[in-house]
Amino acid sequence: MRIQRATLLMTIIFIASVVYIILYFKLFIPTPEQERNITVILKEHNIHSDFWQTVSAGAEAAAKVSGAEITITGPLQETDIEAQIRLLEEVLERKPQAVVIAPINDDRVTTELNKIQEAKIPLVIIDTPVSLNAAPAIVSNDHIAAGMQAGKVTLEQTANHPKSVIISDFVTSGVSKEREKGVHKALLPYTESVYGTYYCSDSEERAYMIAKMMMKDHSDLNAIIALNESAALGAAKAIKDANKTGLVKLIGFDTSIYEIRLLEENTLNATIVQQPFNIGYLGVQTVLDLLDGKRVKPVTYTNSIVVTKENMYSQENQKLLFPFIDK
Amino acid sequence: MSKYKKRASFIPFLPFKSIQSSIFFTFSCLILVTVMVISLNSYHLSVDAVETNSQSYVQEIIKQVNSNIQSYIDNMENISILAMTNKDVKYYISNNSFISKSDRRPYEKRISDLFQAILYSRKDISAIMVFGYNGFSVSDRRITLLNPYTKLEEQSWYKEAKSKGGQSVISPPHVQNIIQNEYRWVVSLSRELKSTDGIRGEGIFLVDLNLSIINDICNQINMGKKGYVFIVDNNGNIVYHPQQQLIYSNLRSEQISRAAAAKSGTSFTVDDDKGKRIYSVQDTNFGWKIVGVAYTEDLIANEGTIRNSIVMYAIIGILFSLLLSLFLSYRMSKPLRILQRDMKKVERGNFDVRTNIEPINEIGQLGRSFNLMLAQIKNLMQEIINNQESKRKSELMLLQSQINPHFLYNTLDSIIWMGEQKKNEEVVLMTSALAKLFRASITKDKELVPIRVEVEHITNYLLIQKIRYDEQLEYEIDISEDIMHYKTLKILLQPFVENAIYHGVRNKAEPGKITIRGCEKDQVIIFEVEDDGMGMTPEQLEGIWTIHDKEHRTKTTSGIGIGNVNERVKLFFGSMYGIQIQSEPEEGTTVTITIPKIKE
Repeated sequence: MRIQRATLLMTIIFIASVVYIILYFKLFIPTPEQERNITVILKEHNIHSDFWQTVSAGAEAAAKVSGAEITITGPLQETDIEAQIRLLEEVLERKPQAVVIAPINDDRVTTELNKIQEAKIPLVIIDTPVSLNAAPAIVSNDHIAAGMQAGKVTLEQTANHPKSVIISDFVTSGVSKEREKGVHKALLPYTESVYGTYYCSDSEERAYMIAKMMMKDHSDLNAIIALNESAALGAAKAIKDANKTGLVKLIGFDTSIYEIRLLEENTLNATIVQQPFNIGYLGVQTVLDLLDGKRVKPVTYTNSIVVTKENMYSQENQKLLFPFIDK
Repeated sequence: MSKYKKRASFIPFLPFKSIQSSIFFTFSCLILVTVMVISLNSYHLSVDAVETNSQSYVQEIIKQVNSNIQSYIDNMENISILAMTNKDVKYYISNNSFISKSDRRPYEKRISDLFQAILYSRKDISAIMVFGYNGFSVSDRRITLLNPYTKLEEQSWYKEAKSKGGQSVISPPHVQNIIQNEYRWVVSLSRELKSTDGIRGEGIFLVDLNLSIINDICNQINMGKKGYVFIVDNNGNIVYHPQQQLIYSNLRSEQISRAAAAKSGTSFTVDDDKGKRIYSVQDTNFGWKIVGVAYTEDLIANEGTIRNSIVMYAIIGILFSLLLSLFLSYRMSKPLRILQRDMKKVERGNFDVRTNIEPINEIGQLGRSFNLMLAQIKNLMQEIINNQESKRKSELMLLQSQINPHFLYNTLDSIIWMGEQKKNEEVVLMTSALAKLFRASITKDKELVPIRVEVEHITNYLLIQKIRYDEQLEYEIDISEDIMHYKTLKILLQPFVENAIYHGVRNKAEPGKITIRGCEKDQVIIFEVEDDGMGMTPEQLEGIWTIHDKEHRTKTTSGIGIGNVNERVKLFFGSMYGIQIQSEPEEGTTVTITIPKIKE
C-alpha cells in the first residue's frame, strides 16, 4: 500500500515535470506554422485596373502578416467569364489550402464555387456576394451604407433640400440596387427628394442624355446621384454643357482619373470610394482564420469614404484615389 | 507501526520501504529539477543571445535603409543647391519683369534644359520645378501646363518652404497634382530661393522624388517573411507604411507613438497577439524616423531547432540519469540487501551462513562484524550443546552411582550377615541408614540441596561403610555450622568418600581414617575429603583424570569418576570452581572441592 503510494507520488511528480516542460515550450513559443498557401482569384487581374491591383496588394499584405504563401490570379477582363471558370477548375485540381475569390456574377462560376465547397476547401467570397449551397464567408463593401453616405452628402450639398435624380446602370445590377437602396434610405425623410431612378446601361452617352433631360424637365433639380462611373461622367458632361456646375450637385461612386479631374474642377462634388485594399486584406485574413479553425463572421463589411475636393489630397484619401501600385 | 513512525519522523518526504527507492527517488528529483533548470536556463540564454544578435542585425539593416534614403534626399538637396546657384534661375525669378514672352523664352529653355539634363541622369527624380513669386514657373518639361484647379499657395510643400525661409523642406509622400493630368506619388523637397542679397525670397524650388524609390528600398530589405519598414516624422505622423490604409481604417495598429519617442539607434521589443517583434529606430537628419520591424520568429529561424535540441538533450539526459540513478541505487543498496537476505537465513536458524560483501565500506564492515558475531554465536551454541550433553551424562552417572548395585548387594550382604550374627542393633542401624541414604538420593527433583542435607547423606553413607568395615575404617566429619544453610550439589561428596574407602583405606594393613571438612574461605565454600590410605603416585593421579576419556568410560564400573564430578561442578558453578587432588603414596590423599556460596 505504501509502496504504491510512493510510486504514485513519483509518477505524478514525473508526469508533472514532463507536462510542465512541454507546456512551457508549447505556451511560450508558438509552434512554427506550416506553410499555408492561399489562392486568390480576382474578377480582373491586370495592372491597369487600380481597384483590383489594390485588392491584390491588400491580399498580399494580409498574407505577409501571417507568413502565408499567396497566389493571385484572375482573368484579364472583368467580362471574361470563361477565364475565371478555367481558373476555378485549375484550383479544384491543384487543391490549395484555401481560396479567396471575387466571383463574376454567372451561374457557371457559382457551380464551380459549389464544387470547391464540396471539396472542403475553405472559401471566402470578396466584393460580390453570391449565394451558394453552404453560405460562404463574405467580405464586401457595404453598398447600402455607401448609398446612405451618398444620400447624406447630397443632403449636405443641397442644404437639406434635395431634389435629385438617381442614374444607375442596369436594373439587374446588385451593387447599384443596394446603393440606390441606401440613397433612398438616407433621403427618405425628405419628401419628393428623388424624382426617379434612370438606367444608363453603363453608357456615358445615355447618362448624358438622361441628365440633360432631367435638368430640362425639373428646373429645381439640384442633385444628380450617379451610381457608377459612366453615369457620373455622362452626367458631369451634361452639367458642364448646361453650365450648371455648382448648381446641380453631382454625387458619384468609385474613382478614376476622370472622376478625379471632375472632382478637382468641382463638377463632381463628392464621390463615394470603396477601400479595395481592405477588401483584399480582410478577405485573406478571413480565410486564414478559417484555416486556423476560428469562427468568422458570415459577412464582413468594409467602409466607404466620402471624398470631396476639400479632402481629396488628405493623407488618408489620396491613398484611396491614387492607389500606389509598384508598377 | 512504531517502526514506521520512527522512519517517517526521520525523513518525512521519503515514505519508501527500501533504501533503493529512496535513493532513486531522491536522485530522480534532483536530476529532474537540475535538468529542467539548466535546460530552461540555457534555452533562455541562447534565445536571448540570438535575439540580441538579430536586434543588432535589424539595426544594421535599418542603418543601411537610412543611409540609402538619406543619399536620395542628399541628392535632391544637391540638385536644389545647383538650381539655387544657377544664374539663369536667379535671373528668371528675380523681380525683373520681362517685357514679353519671347524675352522669357530663352531663359526658360536654358533652365528647362538644365533640369532635363539632371532628370535624364537620374531616374529617381520625377520632376524639377521653379516657381517664381513673380508668377513665372519653369519645369523640366518643355511646356509646363499647371493644373488649373490646383492652387500653388495651398500646397503644403510650397507653404512650408516659404515659412522656413531658405531651408529645404522634405514633404511626406503625397500625390503631386501641380502638373496637369499628372498624378504621381512623390516625396518633395522644396526650398525658397533667395535673391542675390540673400534677404528676400524670390521663388520656390521643387524636386520630386519618385515614391517608388523609397517604396523599393523599404520593400527590398530582408527582415524575414513578415518584417517591414515604416517611416514616421517627428510629430508621430506616418510618412510611409506598407499598410497605411489598414491603419487609417483602424484595421491595424502600429506602435507609432513609441517609435516616434524612441531615440535614434535604439530598439525596443513588442510582444502582443501579433507576435514578438523588434522595433529598430533610426533618425534621418531631415526629420524622419525610419523604423524597422522584425518578427523574432522570422529572424530566429533556428529558435525551434534550439528548443528541440535542448528538449532532446534534456530528455536524453533525464533518461540516462534516471537509468544511472536506478543502477546506482541498486548498486548502493545491494550489499544491504545481501546482508538482509543472509540475516533472514540466520533468523530461520541457519547459523552456517557467511555473508560476503565486497566493498570495504561501512556495510562491508557491518558484514564482517555480522560474520564474527555469527561465529561467536555458533561457538557459544556449540558450547551450550556440549554442556547440556555432558550435564545429562553426569546426571546419568550420578544416578548410577546412587543405586550402585554392588554397594547395595554388599550392604545387604552385610545386613544379612549381621542378622545371622544376631546383631540386631546394628541391623537396625544399618538398615535405617540405608533407607535414609536412598531416600536422599531418590529426591532428585532438585539438583541443589542444602549442605546440611548433603552432610546427613554422607553421614549415613559413612555409617553404613563403618558397619561394614568396622575397625578398618574410622571417620570424622567436621563441617562448619556457618555453611550449613548454603547450597551444594547433591551427592557431591559421596564419590570421593567412596574412592577414599575403596582405593585408600580398604587395601591398607592398618586401620584408615577419613576426614571430611567443610568451611568458608575467601567467599567460597571448601570441602576436603582426606584419607590416610595408600595414596597415589603422580602417574596414578594422572590416571584418575584421564580415566574418563571416552574409550575407558564403558569399563568403569566403580561408579562415578573424579573427572565427572569435576566436570559437573564446573558446569554448574563455572570454571573457577572444581576439584583438586593432592596425594602422596603411602601417605594419603586429600580431595579439595571448591563451590560458590549459594544462599537458599
